[in-house]
Amino acid sequence: MVRIYVIDNGGQWTHREWRTLRDIDVDTKIFPNTTPFEELDNENIDGLVLSGGAPSVALESKLGNCTEYLEKAYFPILGICAGHQFMAQFFGGEAAPSKVPELGKIELTLLKDDMLFEGVPKKSIVWESHNDEVSVLPKTFEVLGESESCKIQAMRHKEKPFYGLQFHPEVEHTEYGEQIFKNFVNMCKT
Amino acid sequence: MFDAEKFIEKTVDQLQEKIKGKALIAFSGGVDSTVCAALVNNAIGDRLIAVHVDTGYMRKNESIDVKKMMEELGLNYRFIDASKEFYASLKNVEDPEEKRKIIGEKFIRLFEKTAKEEGIEYLVQGTIAPDWIESGDELRDTIKSHHNVGGLPEDIAVKLVEPLRDLYKDEVRKVARVLKLPVSERQPFPGPGLAIRIIGEATPKRTEVIREACYIVEKEIENAVKQGIIEKPWQYFAVLIPVKTVGVQGDKRVYGYTIAIRAVQSVDAMTCKYSHIPHEVLDNISIKIANALGNEINRIVYDVTNKPPGTVEWE
Repeated sequence: MVRIYVIDNGGQWTHREWRTLRDIDVDTKIFPNTTPFEELDNENIDGLVLSGGAPSVALESKLGNCTEYLEKAYFPILGICAGHQFMAQFFGGEAAPSKVPELGKIELTLLKDDMLFEGVPKKSIVWESHNDEVSVLPKTFEVLGESESCKIQAMRHKEKPFYGLQFHPEVEHTEYGEQIFKNFVNMCKT
Repeated sequence: MFDAEKFIEKTVDQLQEKIKGKALIAFSGGVDSTVCAALVNNAIGDRLIAVHVDTGYMRKNESIDVKKMMEELGLNYRFIDASKEFYASLKNVEDPEEKRKIIGEKFIRLFEKTAKEEGIEYLVQGTIAPDWIESGDELRDTIKSHHNVGGLPEDIAVKLVEPLRDLYKDEVRKVARVLKLPVSERQPFPGPGLAIRIIGEATPKRTEVIREACYIVEKEIENAVKQGIIEKPWQYFAVLIPVKTVGVQGDKRVYGYTIAIRAVQSVDAMTCKYSHIPHEVLDNISIKIANALGNEINRIVYDVTNKPPGTVEWE
């Protein structure tokens, strides 16, 4: 059984991420973001999800031990919402308040083929809940998807298996959310 | 995938292990507390006492129906009519969080009283995942204090048992179906009841108005579902908005309150879409509310907000 843990940054949908993983037969647990990397590593995990967070939490310089995870991980990481924004900042990009916050239903447009979006059409409905977003892409990343108001909806590291998503693949109303999680799980298996 | 049968087996074992003496369950008659009661009843039998509180903010005939159900389920139960107390404690209270906290505390003090009188050590609650998620904690923002979590006072004299904490409503329904409980498909109803479907002060008079309006919405929507006109919404109800607008009734100017109709589709309450109710159904609801509550209500609107940005209930 592939083992992927969810790091809780205080989002409303952290537990939903856990549930989605469990529903697709992943061995999963929620850990607070204060957990040291060694403790996670000792559990032989295959991947990590960095959850969304309480309002504007990613704009502060620290998000628990997320820095340590991004420094040391040799397995795939999926950052969602605040987790995504923090990932961008960690790698030298920037996050800032959104000009147009997106709440609820939004159309996502994929810009590039990628394993994470296998089986997801070029345009699909995703659900959002954010007041901040990635404003400057880190040099080591590329953009995979955008929406009308937010140009960095999905990004990946050019060399490492690290992904960031501004939208929420874990909620019921995101059309291809479960597919995205399945693709992430497949990456963690290999 | 969530396996209801395995969950039941594991939970009953754990409850047997955990609850050594008597336990009290806060029994609203909704799907969460009924599933909880059935599980604990399987585990410890007669040592479980179900307590239903009529807060005065229940829906039409609800407490009478709940009493009947507790009998049918063979539960050892107590029925407390505390409506006067609840009305008194919410006098002049307008803030939704304050309402929720007052109600949460009132509930727990009533349960503690019963627990003390009957030598009960454990309080079982049907808390599910969205209750504690939205109530907030050290990490999470408080969206609203669910009466059974964020509404709980810090000093409580009983030990809490919450076997459904990691479940969402759709999973609780799966458990209810396996247990063959009659409430498995019942729509959610919040613990604070009609008190949070009245914006502003929840006076007894306004409560009567919203009780009737909710009854009409439920009846008309359920009729439409029966006739195959619409899919059953996740939740459907009315909200009383104490904003006055001008109307004309029998050639006379009136100046009355507003009712909002709300119906949403969801699976787990964490995200919702407003239901696309056909105009013929909305029209029926509008006419019936106007006719039944004409003296108080002269404007009826339909809420077209998703979650996010809104929540299901208005408070």
